[in-house]
Amino acid sequence: MPRWLAHTIVVALFAVLIGLAFSRVDYVWNWADVWAYRNRFIQGFATTVVLSLAALLASTLVGILTALLLESKTVLLEAVGRVYVELIRGTPLLVQLLIGFYVVAGAIGLHDRYVVGVLVLALFSGAYMAEIFRGGLAAIPRTQRDSARAIGLTPWQSFRLVILPQAIRLVLPAVAGQFVSLIKDSSLLSVVAVAEFTLAAQEVNSYTYSTLECYLPLAAGYLALTLPLSAVSRQLERRYRYES
Amino acid sequence: MAFRTRRGYHAGMNHAHRSSFVLLAASLLCLLAVQSMPTARAAAAPLRVGMELSYPPFEMTDPTGRPTGVSVRLAEALGKHLGREIVIENIAFDGLIPALKTGRIDCIISSMTATPERARSIAFSEPYLRTGLALLVGAASPVGSAADLDLPGRTIAVKKGTTGHRYAATTLQRARLLVLDKESAAVLEVVQGKADAFIYDSMSVYQNHKRHRDTTRPLLRPFHEETWAVGLRLGDDALRDQVNRFLVEFRKDGGFDRLGDEFLAEEKAAFAAQGIPFSF
Repeated sequence: MPRWLAHTIVVALFAVLIGLAFSRVDYVWNWADVWAYRNRFIQGFATTVVLSLAALLASTLVGILTALLLESKTVLLEAVGRVYVELIRGTPLLVQLLIGFYVVAGAIGLHDRYVVGVLVLALFSGAYMAEIFRGGLAAIPRTQRDSARAIGLTPWQSFRLVILPQAIRLVLPAVAGQFVSLIKDSSLLSVVAVAEFTLAAQEVNSYTYSTLECYLPLAAGYLALTLPLSAVSRQLERRYRYES
Repeated sequence: MAFRTRRGYHAGMNHAHRSSFVLLAASLLCLLAVQSMPTARAAAAPLRVGMELSYPPFEMTDPTGRPTGVSVRLAEALGKHLGREIVIENIAFDGLIPALKTGRIDCIISSMTATPERARSIAFSEPYLRTGLALLVGAASPVGSAADLDLPGRTIAVKKGTTGHRYAATTLQRARLLVLDKESAAVLEVVQGKADAFIYDSMSVYQNHKRHRDTTRPLLRPFHEETWAVGLRLGDDALRDQVNRFLVEFRKDGGFDRLGDEFLAEEKAAFAAQGIPFSF
């Protein structure tokens, strides 16, 4: 059976099961009221896209820097990286956001909640990225580096032409997963009144009392962001696939 | 899952796996079908009352975690009047109406204002308390009244789903609106100077100012009067009539005066001193 057909059948099955669940609940649908607030949804969606993109880029940077710190021979630098990673991975994002925004940001004079939100997300995701990058690099056998040096490549050339392509292929699934997670985690910024997609749905829900008519489009919107990301990631994995 | 056949390796489910998958899917569907059959409700079923237990002194928890407060006492008195057991469901304020509509609770006693918009989704009993929206202003903010807030540079903190939120979104559209989940977060925004004012009911504004004397200013005179009522499902006329009868009796008995003395003595005195209306 072709893959697209199998996927469609499974999605249809889920839709039927969910439809059955809805049919037992006496729910009166009211799409008209929610449609009147569509601009709020669109604004929120745009904000989420911008915030997620900024956080994605920033967290990749943070991840690379921290991976370098973790691999450093200097004990103090390695300690900075290790403490940062363990602290961030060991505490909930909500706690980091509340402390970051209401305590730390105020103390250092950063009052824009959007900037603080992106920074908190970047630092959160960066810790996980750092571990992913470090693991990917560590998985490349030392013989690769030795062979590259043996045929006369400089350290930078051997990294760029031999180590990096292999490492990218190894980390791509995990990084794509982290990106998808980040997009969904951005919904937590609603707690500090960042006017993104989730807060838009919650606000419209509080105006119209039409919960499902607000949250179903919300889910669809996030899928519209994350599914293409997964698809691109799978394509890249195929492109980087080669015998080794 | 691969297994060996005559034609070489065949990737796919073998028979044991396939039949167990069918069994699982069939049992899932059966479960759903069984659940959709109507169940008979007992006549003296407990009355499930929804409220958000984070609104002292109306809905709160005592140090042991048990619900207490004006609304809880009111619900208990209602239960006694109806001869039904009361079950308090702690639900976030903006989730109360959906919970009522889907049948998770039978009524809402959560200091909820009866508004025309809400009346399209649920039914309300007769009002039981008259109050109004007031402002908790930051100490450094130049705001002197609600009208002062309707300017482009102003920031207003509101709690999601409340009438303060509604008022700010419809009437104060030039200001920037911060929509927050919790009353404590909104107060924090004002205390830290990130918002000019928090729009909430006058009694809570008074309480919050007491806790933050140096960083906030209360503007207690209500700029928008409201009444609180019990929320009920549309069409549940029997329960609504019972609740209205109960409210009349309770008021005649002096029940509301007793609740005022027990939970709101300080507010009553403070409001009386400033000439601000306060009435049950």
